[in-house]
Amino acid sequence: MKLNNPHHKLFIIFLLLLGTTISKTNAQDSVAFTTVLSVRYFLPENKVPYIDISTKKKIGRKSEPLKGIPVNVYFNEALEKNLLGKIITGINGEGWVALPAFFKATWDSLNEFKFVAVSDPSPGVESLTGDVTIKKAILVIDTTSSEGTRTVTAQLKEKKGNEWVPVKEIEMKVGVNRMDGSILSAGDEETYTADSTGTATVEFKRDSLPGDQKGNIVLVAKVEDNESYGNLVVEKSVPWGVSFTPEKNFFDQRTLWTTRFKTPFWLLFMAYSIVIGVWGTLFYLVFQIVKIKKMGREVRPQT
Amino acid sequence: MEKLQKFSPEKITSDLLPQKFGRRGIIWTAILIIICCIGAFAYIKQLRKGLIVTNMGDYVSWGIYISNFVFFVAISLVGSLITAIFRLSNVPWRTPLTRISEMIAVSAITFAALIIIVDMGRPERLVFLFTHGRLQSPIMWDVIVITTYFFLSLLLLYITLLPDIRILIGAKEKLGKPFSKLYRWLGSYWKGTAGQEKIRDRAITILCIVIIPVAFCIHTVTSWLFATTYRPGWDSTNFGAYFVSGAFLVGAGAVVVAMYVFRKVYKLDHYITERHFDKMGRILVMLALLYLYFNINEYLVPAFKMKKEEQAHLSGLFAGEYAPMFWFAILVGMIIPILIVVFKRGRRPKPMFVAGTMVVVGAWFKRYLIVTPTMLHPFLPKYDAPARYSHYFPSWEEWAITAGSLAGVLLIITILARIFPVISIYKTLTDHETEQPSS
Repeated sequence: MKLNNPHHKLFIIFLLLLGTTISKTNAQDSVAFTTVLSVRYFLPENKVPYIDISTKKKIGRKSEPLKGIPVNVYFNEALEKNLLGKIITGINGEGWVALPAFFKATWDSLNEFKFVAVSDPSPGVESLTGDVTIKKAILVIDTTSSEGTRTVTAQLKEKKGNEWVPVKEIEMKVGVNRMDGSILSAGDEETYTADSTGTATVEFKRDSLPGDQKGNIVLVAKVEDNESYGNLVVEKSVPWGVSFTPEKNFFDQRTLWTTRFKTPFWLLFMAYSIVIGVWGTLFYLVFQIVKIKKMGREVRPQT
Repeated sequence: MEKLQKFSPEKITSDLLPQKFGRRGIIWTAILIIICCIGAFAYIKQLRKGLIVTNMGDYVSWGIYISNFVFFVAISLVGSLITAIFRLSNVPWRTPLTRISEMIAVSAITFAALIIIVDMGRPERLVFLFTHGRLQSPIMWDVIVITTYFFLSLLLLYITLLPDIRILIGAKEKLGKPFSKLYRWLGSYWKGTAGQEKIRDRAITILCIVIIPVAFCIHTVTSWLFATTYRPGWDSTNFGAYFVSGAFLVGAGAVVVAMYVFRKVYKLDHYITERHFDKMGRILVMLALLYLYFNINEYLVPAFKMKKEEQAHLSGLFAGEYAPMFWFAILVGMIIPILIVVFKRGRRPKPMFVAGTMVVVGAWFKRYLIVTPTMLHPFLPKYDAPARYSHYFPSWEEWAITAGSLAGVLLIITILARIFPVISIYKTLTDHETEQPSS
């Protein structure tokens, strides 16, 4: 059959184009992706450690958080008796499990731990597994001052037997805690490495930093994503900042935005003048009605 | 009016006395009561469960209730337009319109105050406005000015009614018992003496002088509730004048509708004449053109600049989700009524009624457009908000309460018109007397 009619040819071209577009769209929909479950160990302030879980979907170079994934966290092996906690990943694909109180005896008796996280299969996401192995350690921060020089020292101590032994040549951040959660380095370097005695010593060069009203600033030492020890952070408050005293307390002034007791006088004057003026007139008019009423009563009914 | 000269005072009094509801009146009142009851039921549900029954949320925290509030405030302005401005400027044909506009003003401002309480969710907290109110807050200004305008409107209605109440007491035999006690309680003391007349006249003049700035304030302050916040569509220095001009238009539209309905129902053709419609038509055109001018300023100037922050809001209005409603409000609320009424033939009662209805309906949607789309487009980016927060459509409870409040306004007007004359008998008789050719 010959296609003499140009409209038929156009129609076939249109169908071919449509088919190509649909198949291309379907192909895009079925782009291969991988899912990842990562497990990280955190010890804040040498207190209760927690396990941070993160689930992600990787498409090419891009990664997206996988939210709503149920994950179980175990000690050592994925067995029911080793369960430490259960979480469901949040909108950012993350969740965390603090080591429970019943784990304390195990925690005290061992120096090395393996934490395993296993996710339940979800629609479109198969079961994922991840683990982290860490050595028990603590991070210590201290300060010294002599002849006008202020020094910050930090030590990562690993538990060996019953002893806490400083770890040599470990990299860490030492600085001042910023309000946005980042760390302003105490010296010139971004990170510092512990020396042969396991101590990172940093000369404090951040004079004149604004502190709180007593001049306190918060020093911080942080070990980040270490293969053996995980993430540790420790803080210490020191009066090395410049005390901050507001020149004028904004909320003590009579401004438009403060409490009702601080209403500006001009506004009070204007508002009350108008209110008194108008309501004064209203009361005057009510009084006039009373007057009319009185006059009406005085009029004798006509017989 | 020429025909009116041939009427005897007895005929005029008889024509203007309140009339009993006929079958249509009873059905009309029953429908209004039923709608009010449904609204009350929805409000009780809202009281019990909280504002969760509404579809308002984090972004649209002012929805249909506040739109309705602005609408009522706008309509209430009519009392000052017709009564005060016409009286002070000595407009001779105002008599049949003043009472109607005063009734509309009182009923609208009553429901404006009530709908704000509905929007609060926790009505018992209203008292906190007085115990903990900050004079810095525009909300506080609104509370003060609405309360003031309510009392002023009530006082204006009452004082102008006094001579009519005397006539109503005198017509006990014709009117029957139902309201005779009320009439006596309200105005048995009015004897119409020269002294009383003098005080009453002075009181009305004072009221008319005071009510105009208060009426301007009420709608300017309402506009400031919006304009003092930094949001697309509200961030305008023009808002006070824009709101006041819109209020005058919708008020005039409402009076035209009421004029037509009362004329038809109470057979007042000799009192509310074609001349009144013609005059009101001219005013309506002028007010519609004025409001259109402000609308062009409010929308065209920002659209010319199209600041990024306002783009989503304006695009939504001009060509997006709210475009049908926006163009409906502009066309039906302003342009078509202008086209109808600008011609002499359009200023006859029926086309005027159509134009007035269009103005009122368009004005309601206009208020909705002022409030809701802006709330959906805050300057700060929405973060971590559920998708439903990006849209707003009132829940059935909100619709029921809104319909109930609209029915409530009409019910108050209906009841007032049943109890009191819709046209001042006393003033009509006085006008009739002065217009009589001296024999």
